[in-house]
Amino acid sequence: MLLTKKSGAAEAGMRPPASGRSPFLHSLQRGLSNALPTMDRRAFLRRSGLGVGVGLAASQLVLVKKAGAAEGRSVGVGAGKIEVKRTVCTHCSVGCAIDAVVENGVWVRQEPVFDSPINLGAHCAKGAAVREHGHGEFRLRYPMKLVNGKYERISWDTALNEISAKMLELRKASGPDSVYWIGSSKHSNEQSYLMRKFVSFWGSNNCDHQARICHSTTVAGVANTWGYGAMTNSYNDMQNSKCALYIGSNAAEAHPVSMLHMLHSKENGCKMIVVDPRFTRTAAKADEYVRIRSGSDIPFLFGLLHHIFKNGWEDKKYINDRVYGMEDVRKEVLEKWTPDKVEEACGVPEAQMFKVAQMMAMNRPSTLVWCMGQTQHSIGNAMVRASCIVQLALGNVGVSGGGANIFRGHDNVQGATDIGPNPDSLPGYYGIVEGSWRHFAKAWGVDYDWIKARFANVGMMSKPGITVSRWIDGVMEKNELIDQDPNLRAVVYWGHAPNSQTRGLEMKRAMDMLDLLVVVDPYPSATAAMAAMPGRPEDLNKNRAVYLLPAATQFETSGSVTASNRSLQWREKVIEPLWESRTDHMIMYQLAEKLGFGKELVKNYKMQKVKGMDEPLPEDILREVNKSCWSIGYTGQSPERLKSHMRNMANFDVKTLKSKGGKDPVTGYDLTGDYFGLPWPCYGTPELKHPGSPNLYDTSKHVMEGGGNFRANFGVERNGVNLLAEDGSASKGADIQTGYPEFDHVLLKKLGWWDELTDVEKALAEGKNWKTDNSGGIIRVTMKNHGCHVFGNAKARAVVWNFPDGIPQHREALYSTRPDLVAKYPTHDDKKAFWRLPTLYKTIQDKNLADKVATKFPLILTSGRLTEYEGGGDETRSNPWLAELQQEAFVEINPKAAGERGIRNGERVWVSTPTGARINVQAMLTERVGPDTCWIPFHFAGRWQGADLLAYYPNGAAPVVRGEAVNTATTYGYDSVTMMQETKTTICNVERAVA
Amino acid sequence: QDKGRDDLPPPAPAAGASAAPQPGGIQGQNIFDVKPEVKPDASSDPKYLEQSNGERNRVQPGNNAPMWRGVAAGREGFTNYPKSEAPEAGVLIQPPVQYPGSRLTTAGEAWRQVRNVWLIPYGGALLLIVLGALAIFYFAKGPIGKHGAGEGQLKIERFTPFERSAHWANAIAFTILMVSGLVMAFGKFFLLPVMGGLLFGWLTYFLKTLHNFTGPLFTVSLIIVFVVFLRDNWPQRGDLNWLLKGGGLVGKSTNHEPPSHRFNAGEKIVFWGGVLVLGFFVVSSGLAMDKLIPGINYDRQTMQIIHMFHYVSTALMMCMFFGHIYIGTIGMRGAYTAMRRGYVGEEWAKEHHAYWYEDIRSGKIPAQRSHPHAAADAPILGEQRA
Amino acid sequence: MARMKFICDSERCIECNGCVTACKNEHEIPWGVNRRRVVTLNDGVPGERSISVACMHCSDAPCMAVCPVNCFYRTDEGVVLHDKDICIGCGYCSYACPFGAPQFPASGTFGVRGKMDKCTFCAGGPEANGSEAEFEKYGRNRLAEGKLPACAEMCSTKALLAGDGDVVADIFRNRVVKRGKGAEVWGWGTAYGSKQAGQPGGAKS
Ligand SMILES: Nc1nc2c(c(=O)[nH]1)N[C@H]1C(S)=C(S)[C@@H](COP(=O)(O)OP(=O)(O)OC[C@H]3O[C@@H](n4cnc5c(=O)[nH]c(N)nc54)[C@H](O)[C@@H]3O)O[C@H]1N2
Ligand SMILES: Nc1nc2c(c(=O)[nH]1)N[C@H]1C(S)=C(S)[C@@H](COP(=O)(O)OP(=O)(O)OC[C@H]3O[C@@H](n4cnc5c(=O)[nH]c(N)nc54)[C@H](O)[C@@H]3O)O[C@H]1N2
Ligand code: HEM
Ligand code: HEM
Ligand code: SF4
Ligand code: SF4
Ligand code: SF4
Ligand code: SF4
Ligand code: SF4
Ligand SMILES: [Mo]
Repeated sequence: MLLTKKSGAAEAGMRPPASGRSPFLHSLQRGLSNALPTMDRRAFLRRSGLGVGVGLAASQLVLVKKAGAAEGRSVGVGAGKIEVKRTVCTHCSVGCAIDAVVENGVWVRQEPVFDSPINLGAHCAKGAAVREHGHGEFRLRYPMKLVNGKYERISWDTALNEISAKMLELRKASGPDSVYWIGSSKHSNEQSYLMRKFVSFWGSNNCDHQARICHSTTVAGVANTWGYGAMTNSYNDMQNSKCALYIGSNAAEAHPVSMLHMLHSKENGCKMIVVDPRFTRTAAKADEYVRIRSGSDIPFLFGLLHHIFKNGWEDKKYINDRVYGMEDVRKEVLEKWTPDKVEEACGVPEAQMFKVAQMMAMNRPSTLVWCMGQTQHSIGNAMVRASCIVQLALGNVGVSGGGANIFRGHDNVQGATDIGPNPDSLPGYYGIVEGSWRHFAKAWGVDYDWIKARFANVGMMSKPGITVSRWIDGVMEKNELIDQDPNLRAVVYWGHAPNSQTRGLEMKRAMDMLDLLVVVDPYPSATAAMAAMPGRPEDLNKNRAVYLLPAATQFETSGSVTASNRSLQWREKVIEPLWESRTDHMIMYQLAEKLGFGKELVKNYKMQKVKGMDEPLPEDILREVNKSCWSIGYTGQSPERLKSHMRNMANFDVKTLKSKGGKDPVTGYDLTGDYFGLPWPCYGTPELKHPGSPNLYDTSKHVMEGGGNFRANFGVERNGVNLLAEDGSASKGADIQTGYPEFDHVLLKKLGWWDELTDVEKALAEGKNWKTDNSGGIIRVTMKNHGCHVFGNAKARAVVWNFPDGIPQHREALYSTRPDLVAKYPTHDDKKAFWRLPTLYKTIQDKNLADKVATKFPLILTSGRLTEYEGGGDETRSNPWLAELQQEAFVEINPKAAGERGIRNGERVWVSTPTGARINVQAMLTERVGPDTCWIPFHFAGRWQGADLLAYYPNGAAPVVRGEAVNTATTYGYDSVTMMQETKTTICNVERAVA
Repeated sequence: QDKGRDDLPPPAPAAGASAAPQPGGIQGQNIFDVKPEVKPDASSDPKYLEQSNGERNRVQPGNNAPMWRGVAAGREGFTNYPKSEAPEAGVLIQPPVQYPGSRLTTAGEAWRQVRNVWLIPYGGALLLIVLGALAIFYFAKGPIGKHGAGEGQLKIERFTPFERSAHWANAIAFTILMVSGLVMAFGKFFLLPVMGGLLFGWLTYFLKTLHNFTGPLFTVSLIIVFVVFLRDNWPQRGDLNWLLKGGGLVGKSTNHEPPSHRFNAGEKIVFWGGVLVLGFFVVSSGLAMDKLIPGINYDRQTMQIIHMFHYVSTALMMCMFFGHIYIGTIGMRGAYTAMRRGYVGEEWAKEHHAYWYEDIRSGKIPAQRSHPHAAADAPILGEQRA
Repeated sequence: MARMKFICDSERCIECNGCVTACKNEHEIPWGVNRRRVVTLNDGVPGERSISVACMHCSDAPCMAVCPVNCFYRTDEGVVLHDKDICIGCGYCSYACPFGAPQFPASGTFGVRGKMDKCTFCAGGPEANGSEAEFEKYGRNRLAEGKLPACAEMCSTKALLAGDGDVVADIFRNRVVKRGKGAEVWGWGTAYGSKQAGQPGGAKS
C-alpha cells in the first residue's frame, strides 16, 4: 500500500513537532503508520488542512545546519539568533547579490535575492556555492613562515615584526622601490584605495593588480578613444539591443548571469553573433558563429568596417558630429582590408563578413561585447580600439541598446582599477604628476613634502612603476637595463595568484632570488607551493624569507564593490573573520604602524574593534574617496546612499536600472531618479543627488539624469581639425549646444557662472578645475544649473595619435604559427625603459622566425575560463562543491590534430612550448577548437611539469583539485601601451604521454 | 469554399506582399523573418532523416529533432563528471529496449515491467505451486520409504564428514540466501503490512546485506559440493529404469523404489540441473550483482539483465531445491539422518540404493571411507530414528 | 492542487552548473552524490544544447514501483519522496529510473551502496518538517517554507523552471511563442506520460 503524504505543514495533527521527541520514536511511528490499513489516502488529505505555500510561519525560522564552520561553534537547531546579511558574490564582475543567512555567527544558508535588478536571484556555479567560504576548510588558518622547506605556524606579532623589520632593512639598503606590491581586484573599493595610499606612503609606484593582465588594454584604449575606460552600458541594457556581437568574450562561462539578460533580449528578437577561435558555450546560443584565428581580431573588425563603409552603412551624421579621424580610418580600411586580405589573415570568407556587417548595421542599436579574447595580446590596445571604431562608425556609442559592453573580470576589478593600486595613477585616474600628488596629499591630510620625502627621489614619484606582468623581470633583469635604482628584492602578493602571470618557469626562478616574499591571502596556496618547491639551487637566495598571512574574505568584512556596469554595491559583513584571519585593511593598518606611517594612513578614519583589534572603518574610507575622486564621479556614492539602494533593490527597474521612486524606509532617503548602485560617474557631492550614469555619453538625457557626451580630454583641436563636438550634439538641455572644453575656474568666470558658487565654494575652487575643486561647486554649477558636462563635450577619437599605432594596425603575435603573415604584419620595434623595463618585440619575433619555432610548435595555444573556477583558482578549487565539477586540467584539441599525433580522448598528453616548459594534462578531443588551435583552462595549479606539489603546500591548505597551470608554459609578449601579457596567442606542440 | 478548386495551387500572393523587406535605414528586423527563398523544402532531401543536428540546423534553423531523437534513444551527452565516478551521468534517458514481456520503452521502465508484471507474480506463483504440490504429496502419501537410517546390522558410511560439512555449509548458505531473497522479492506483500515500514526496512536491510555477503560463500561451497559429489553422479546402469518408473512413485509397483547406485537418477537430475546448471546461473548472476566479477561494465542495463537472469534462475533453483529439501527432510525416512550423521543402515541402503548396497556388500565400496578417528562422533547404529 | 514539475529550457541553459551547486549548498550533499546534473548534447559543435536533469517526480514512477521495501511515497503535489530509514540500498530504483536520478553514497563490491539519495524537489522527507533529522537525511524542506527548489530559484538564466506544472508550462509556452523555436519540453513524455499534466491514477507496485 502506498500512501500519499503531505509535504507541507500538513501533519500538524499527526506529526510531532521537531523538538521534544526522539527521532527513533518518530520513525517507528511513521513505519507503523505505513502498516496500518486504517490510514487511507483520503484521511491523509483531509488532515492536510493547510496548503503549501502558506509556509511554516514558525518553523520557517527553524534553520538547521550540519556542522559548525569553525572550531568551537555550537551546533544549534533553531535556538540561535538568525540574521540575514545582504552581500555580493565575490567571483565575477556581474555583481550578483546574495542573502546570507547567519545563525549564531555561522553562515548556515544562502538565499537568492530576487529583488536584485542585476541578477534577479540567479547565480552560476560559483555564486551558488559561495557559502562554502563560511566553512573555509582549506584556508590558511594562521600566519606561517617557510623554515627549511616547510611552512611553520607563527604568531601574528612575530610575522608582522619580522616582515616589517626585513622591509625596513631593504628600504635602507636599496630604497623603497625594491619592494613590489601586488594588490588585488578582490579587495573592496575601500581596501584597494587604501592599498594605493599605503604604497604611496611607503614611497613607491611599484604596485599593481589584476587589471594589468585583464583589461588594462581596454582601459587605456577606450579611455583614449572617448573618455572613460569602462563598460559604457550595462548587462541590463542589453535587453534593449537588436543585435549583439561578442568578440573574444565567452560570457556563458565567464559572465553566466549576463546571459540572463542577453537570452531574454534574444527572445525578443535581438540577434546574437559570436566571434571566437572556439565554438564556445556562448557561441552555442548565437545566431551566427564566426571562427577566427586567435590574434586576428583587427583583420576581422576592419573587414567588417570595410563592408560597412562600402555599403554606406556608417552613421554619417553621428561621425561628423561626434567622431574625430574616422575619414583616415575609412581610407585605410577600404584600401587595406579588402575581403581577400581579411580572409587570409583571420580566415573568415567574404560572404560571412558581409552577413555579420549587415546584421550589425541593419539591427541598430547594436552592441559590441569584448573581453579577454581582445585584450590579452601584444596589440591588445589596438584591438580594443578597432572595436570602438566599429561602434563609432555605426553610431552605437552613447545609445541605449548599443555601446561597448566590455565585460570586466573580477568582482571588483572595476573598482580597483578606478581607485586602487595602479602603477601609473592615483585613485580616480589622477596621473602621478605633482598636481595629483598635491590633490591627494590634501585629501589624505598629509603634507605633500612628507610624501615626497618617502620616495627615493622626486623623479620616481612621477615614473610609472613596474607592472605585475613583469615583476619577474624587475627581479631578474640586469640592473643597468632597468629604469630604477634597485632590482626588486621583495614581493608582496596581496590577493593575487602567481599562476595567472605568464612565463612560469622564469617566475619560479625570480621567486627563489627574492629576499622577501609575503603572501596575504585567504588561499595563498599556489604561491606558497611554488615558493617552497625546490628550484635550481643556484637561484636560491640564502636569505630569502617567505611569509603567509591569512586574509579575511570579503564576506568577513563590509565595503563597496563596483560591478562591470559601474554600479557600486555595499556588502554587509556576513561572518567574523574565520580562524586567525584578519581583514586586509586591518593588516594594512597594522603593517603601516610597524613601518612607521600608521598614523598618517588612518588619519581621516574612525576605528572599529574587530576581534578586539583596531580596524579602519570602511565607511570612512569611502567618504575619503567621495571627497577626492571627482574625476570619475566616485563622489556621489556615499555609504548611506549605497546602503539604501541595497535595502530597496526591488525599487529599480530591471531593464533601465532606474528607480521607480519611493523612500528608503530606514533612512527616509528619496530614491527617485537614482540608477541602481549609482553607476559611476555619479558626479558631485552626495547632496547634489546625481543619479549615476547608466549609459555613458548618452546625449538623449540631461546630465543630471545620467546623460552625457564624449569627454574633452585631448585638447580642442589638432592640426587645425576641431576636436570638440559639432554644434547641436550636446546632451539634452545643456546651456551650451556646441562643443566645449572641460570646466575650470577660468571657464566658469568667462561664462559668468562663477558667482553662482557660494563663498565657501569659491574659496576652494579658486585656481582649480572640476577635478581638483574639493568643494564640488564647479560641478554643481555646471551640471545642475546649466546642464553642461564638466568634462566638456568633444569628439571621440578614431585615431589615437599618442599611441604606437594611431590607427589600429594588425601585427602578428610574437609567437605565431604563420611566418608568412609575420612577414606582412610584423610586430613593433623593441622598447627601452618601458614601465621601467626593456621590452622586446622585434628581437623575439625575428629570432622565432630564424629558429623556425612555427614548425616545432605548429599549434596555436590559447587559454581561458571554465564556469566553475575563477582566476588562478585557489579559492574555487578549494571549494568541494565546485571542485567536483572540474577534476582534471585538460587541453582542448581538434580530433584532426589529435589524430595526427595518435592521441585519443581522455589520454594524458604533454603540451610543450618554446620556453622549454612541458605540462602534463588530459586531452579532450573536440571540434570546439579548429585543427590549428589548442585551448587550456588557466585555473589550475599544484602540478608542475608532471610533478604533484602537494608536499609543498602549507599543512591543510592545499586545494581539493590540483592540476598543471598553463602559465607554466606561456611565453613572452607584452602590449605596447600597457604591458598586458600575451596570453591569448602563443604556440605549442602536443604529444601523447607514454606512461 | 469551392471544393472543386482544392487541387489548384493556392492563389499567388499580391505583388509586393511577398517581397522581402528591403534592407534600408537602420530599423530592427525580426530574426524570424525567413526570406522567401526559392528552395525545395529541406525535408525533401533524401538524407533528411539521417541528418545530424548540426546539419539539420543549417537547413532548418531551430529544428532540433535529430538531437531529441538521439536523447530518446539514449545517446550520451557530455557531463563534467569523470567517467570513473559517474559512468552514466551523460545519459539523459535510458535508451529504449524491449525485454521479453515488456513493451518497447526506456530500459528502466521495460525492466520494471518484466519484474513487476512477470517475474514477481509468476515467480511467486510458481514457488507457491511447488510448495503446494509438495504439501499435497506429503498429505497424500506421507514420507516415502519404510526404513529409517539406523535399521539393519551393518553401519554404512554414506557421507564422510567432509562431504557432510561441505553439504551443510552449502545448505545453510542456500537457506540464508533463499530467505533473504524471498523477503527482498516478496516481503513487501506479506511482511510489510504486518511489520510496518521501519521494522520491515531494518529487517530487509539486514537480510539484503546478509544476502550480499552470503552469496560468495555459497559460491565456494557449491563448487566444493560439486567436486565432491561429481564422481557418483555420472549416469549409470539403472538410471533410465529408475526414471521410467518415476523413482517407484508411478506405475504399479508403488512403494518399491527401483534399484540405483549411490545416487539415484532423481538426485542426479538435481545434481546436474540444479547444482551445475542453475547453480552456475545463480552464482554467476549473483556475483555479478555483487559487482565481484571484474571486467564487466556495471551500467544500469547490464544490471537489469543480470537481475532478470538471477531472478529466473534463483526461482527455478528454489523450486528444484524445495523438492530436494522436502525429500531430504520430511519427504523420506532416514534421508536427513544420513546427511546429518553420515551413516545409514543396511535396510535403508537396500531399500533406496540397491546397487550401491550390493557394491558395499561385495566390498567394492568400503563401508567406512573416512578414517575412523575422523568419524569419532559416528553414532551408534540403532540409536537413531529418522 | 498543484502538481510540481521541472522544465529545463534547453534554448536557455548554458551549462553553468549553478543549479548543481545550489543544490549541493542548500542540502549539503557530499561529493559523489549528484541530485542534479547537467548534460550537454552536441558538445562543441553547432546545435549544442545543455539540459539540467534531476528526478522528474514521475507520475507513474518506476522507482517507486520496483522498490522492494516500498519506501517511496508521493506528496499531494506529486513530489516523489522516499524514506531513508526504510531504504535498503538495493539500487533497484536506479535501474528503473529513466533519468538516472537515484544516487548512492558508495558503489562498492558486495552490493554495498548505502541509502539512496535523490532530488526531493526541495521537499524534505518523511520526518517532521524543518527538523534536524529531516535536514540530515534529506536536506532542507523549502516547499514547507513556501519556497521553490533552490536549483530553479538560482538558475543563472531561468532556464530551469520548477513549480506547478501548469504554471511552468505557461511560462515556457510564452517563451516559445516569442522566440518561435525550442518548443521541446524535455523529459515530460517519459516522466508524466502522454497526459502530462494530471495526477496519476495511483501508483502501482
Ligand atoms: N567562471 C569564471 N568566470 C570569470 C572568471 C573566471 O576565472 N572564471 N574570471 C573573470 C575575469 S578576471 C575575466 S577578465 C573575465 C574574462 O572573460 P572572457 O574573456 O569572456 O573569458 P576567456 O575565457 O578568458 O576568453 C574569452 C574567449 O576568448 C577567446 N579567444 C582567444 N583568443 C582570441 C582572439 O585572439 N580573439 C578573439 N576574438 N577571441 C579569442 C577564447 O577562445 C575564449 O573563448 O571573466 C570573469 N569571469
Ligand atoms: N593564460 C592565461 N592567463 C591569464 C588569463 C587567461 O585568460 N589566460 N587571464 C588573466 C586575467 S583576465 C586575470 S584577471 C588573472 C586572474 O588571476 P588572479 O587574480 O591572479 O587569480 P585569482 O585566483 O582570482 O587571484 C585572486 C586571489 O585573491 C585571493 N582573495 C580573494 N578574496 C580576497 C580578499 O578579500 N583579500 C585578499 N587579500 N585576497 C583575496 C584569492 O584567494 C586568490 O588567491 O589571470 C590572468 N591570467
Ligand atoms: C552466489 C550466490 C548469490 C549471490 C551472490 C546473490 C546476490 C544477489 C544480489 C546482489 C541480489 C540483488 C539484491 C540486492 O542487491 O540486495 C540478489 C537478489 C536476489 N537473490 Fe540472490 N544471490 C545469490 C544466490 C541466490 C540464491 C541461491 C538465491 C535463491 C535461492 C537468490 C535469490 C535472490 C532473490 C530472490 C533476490 C531478489 C530478487 C528481487 O527482489 O527481484 N540469490 N541476489
Ligand atoms: C536445507 C536444505 C537442504 C537439505 C535439508 C538437504 C538435505 C540433503 C540430504 C538429506 C541429502 C542426502 C540424500 C541422500 O542421502 O541421498 C542431500 C544430498 C545432497 N544435497 Fe542436499 N539438502 C539441502 C540443500 C542442498 C543444497 C542447497 C544443495 C546444492 C545446491 C544440495 C546439494 C546436495 C547434493 C549435491 C547432495 C548429494 C546427492 C546428489 O548429488 O544429488 N543440498 N541433501
Ligand atoms: S560568478 Fe559572476 S555570474 Fe556567477 S554568481 Fe558570481 S557574480 Fe554572478
Ligand atoms: S525520475 Fe526516476 S527517481 Fe524520479 S520519480 Fe521518476 S523514476 Fe523515480
Ligand atoms: S535503493 Fe532504497 S529506495 Fe531504491 S529501490 Fe532499493 S530500497 Fe527502494
Ligand atoms: S529540487 Fe532541490 S533537491 Fe531537487 S535538484 Fe533542485 S535543489 Fe536539489
Ligand atoms: S543553472 Fe540554469 S543555465 Fe545553469 S546549468 Fe543549471 S539549468 Fe542550465
Ligand atoms: Mo580578468
